[in-house]
Amino acid sequence: MNPLRQRSMQPKLVATRLSREDYRDSQESPMSKISVRALSVYYRAFRALADISLEIPANHVSAIIGPSGCGKSTLLRSINRMTDLVPGARAEGEILLDDWNILGAGVDVVEARRRIGMVFQRPNPFPKSIYENVAYGPRLYGIHRRHELDDIVERSLRQAALWDEVKDKLSQSGLAMSGGQQQRLCIARALAVEPEVILMDEPASALDPIATLKIEELMQTLKESYTIVIVTHNMQEAARVSDYTAFMMIESPETRSGIIVEFGETNQIFTRPKHQQTEDYITGRFG
Amino acid sequence: MMLSQRRASWRKRKSLLMLALCGLATLLAITPLLWILGYVLRAGAPAMSLSFLTQLPTPVGVPGGGVLNAIIGSAITVGLGLLISAPIGILAAFLAAYQPNTPLGLAVRFGTDVISGVPSIVMGIFAYTLVVLPQRHFSAFSGGVVLSFIMLPIIIRSTEEMLKLVPTALREGSLAIGAPEWKTSLSVILPAAGNGVLTGLMLAIARAAGEAAPMLFTAFGNPFLSFRLDQPIATLPHTIFVYAISPYQDWRAKAWATAFVLIALVLALNVLARLLVWWRTRQLGSVIR
Repeated sequence: MNPLRQRSMQPKLVATRLSREDYRDSQESPMSKISVRALSVYYRAFRALADISLEIPANHVSAIIGPSGCGKSTLLRSINRMTDLVPGARAEGEILLDDWNILGAGVDVVEARRRIGMVFQRPNPFPKSIYENVAYGPRLYGIHRRHELDDIVERSLRQAALWDEVKDKLSQSGLAMSGGQQQRLCIARALAVEPEVILMDEPASALDPIATLKIEELMQTLKESYTIVIVTHNMQEAARVSDYTAFMMIESPETRSGIIVEFGETNQIFTRPKHQQTEDYITGRFG
Repeated sequence: MMLSQRRASWRKRKSLLMLALCGLATLLAITPLLWILGYVLRAGAPAMSLSFLTQLPTPVGVPGGGVLNAIIGSAITVGLGLLISAPIGILAAFLAAYQPNTPLGLAVRFGTDVISGVPSIVMGIFAYTLVVLPQRHFSAFSGGVVLSFIMLPIIIRSTEEMLKLVPTALREGSLAIGAPEWKTSLSVILPAAGNGVLTGLMLAIARAAGEAAPMLFTAFGNPFLSFRLDQPIATLPHTIFVYAISPYQDWRAKAWATAFVLIALVLALNVLARLLVWWRTRQLGSVIR
């Protein structure tokens, strides 16, 4: 969507966000929420990402596109340190959340993952009730009082546009819902711990068009309060939902390391790409 | 056209033949099961009655009597064995499933293979030197210990396989919220694998409940009713053994009746576990397809 149009449509946000709004209104580039600086990720000897630098703007949707195997998911996963789970993986460089380097020594990974939530390609609700799925996160952080949990569950499900559909069956299994509902439950689950950033790894690729539309609409409301980064294979989707787009490719067939070819406003990337490679990919000449 | 029709009819006949072969194999597989059940029922019938479940053994020649002491003894020893082996086995299974190539993970997997190959009578002798000799008398406790040795590899193996079936996405989902690894394992992965773990526990119980040989060295048997862990105790398989090798006609009938009781109890426990699995699946859904 056109970021200019978006801005005029957006309602005024809460007081704490006003400074950012002002910043955005001043016609300069928006404040960045996440700064990736000279990031390289290695899987043992293989350099999966080479020297990635990226400023992800706050309260916008940023899309990462590119052909398969170019490191999109690796980049996304290193932002909340899910790459730690891969044996032999290590990261160099910096990823700043506001001013906090989450790759720094002695960083509390749990805190990083609380502030940076993640939604996966396939909906992965826990085999628990809808209520328990959402309450799982807050419980981890020491919230056990029933009425507090009730409030969080309701708020999160409302934010994920799921409340009206499930409010009468909160004790039912999260697995008994449709795929689209399951994915929104996973979004609610991520929102329940009050993150600042939500990473989405092809969140709609396993869903039908109607469920996809709902998720995409949801992103537009969520970006008022959260910074969203989405990886997608679907270029129409990137064009529809994102304000900024990063195009990734492999450096060369020999190294197979992922690099960022171009990052900018989605409009510009899709209409006036600066690099030939971006244009070739977007127009379907390779990929 | 002709050719394709001829081929289709040949294909159908081949399919029918294969189906018949499968049916035959199934029949062959369940025949011994039904045969054994029928034989046990027929041979035990003279000694069987409801009071067989509720009374204590009587001396040779005295009519009536039952195996209440052995039913309780089996419940105590198997229960104790489960209590020891289930937590250890399940935790070890996590190690085997998620850290298979670390030294500890390799040790668990290799150790499991080795233990499951040890004959149960050897386990009995081992428990005898480990528990009975220092205590200087046979006990229900030592019976529970030896049964836990027997159950351990079964529990580790089956739990490990079930844990491996839980989709990685589920684990990542929990870790991505910031849950520590142990919390993820206990409150997401274990419940997701719950039905399979339960089935593994049932297998272990069924196996342990039928062990007579190690009981000769540990629980030893007891003609009286006992609830004490530090005293010898009767168990169903050991009672079958004692009755079956006796020269008395009525005791031998009782051996068959006891065997029937044992089979029926294990079967009932299995049905109960199936019901629990069915209920859990209905309640929570299943992530393992």
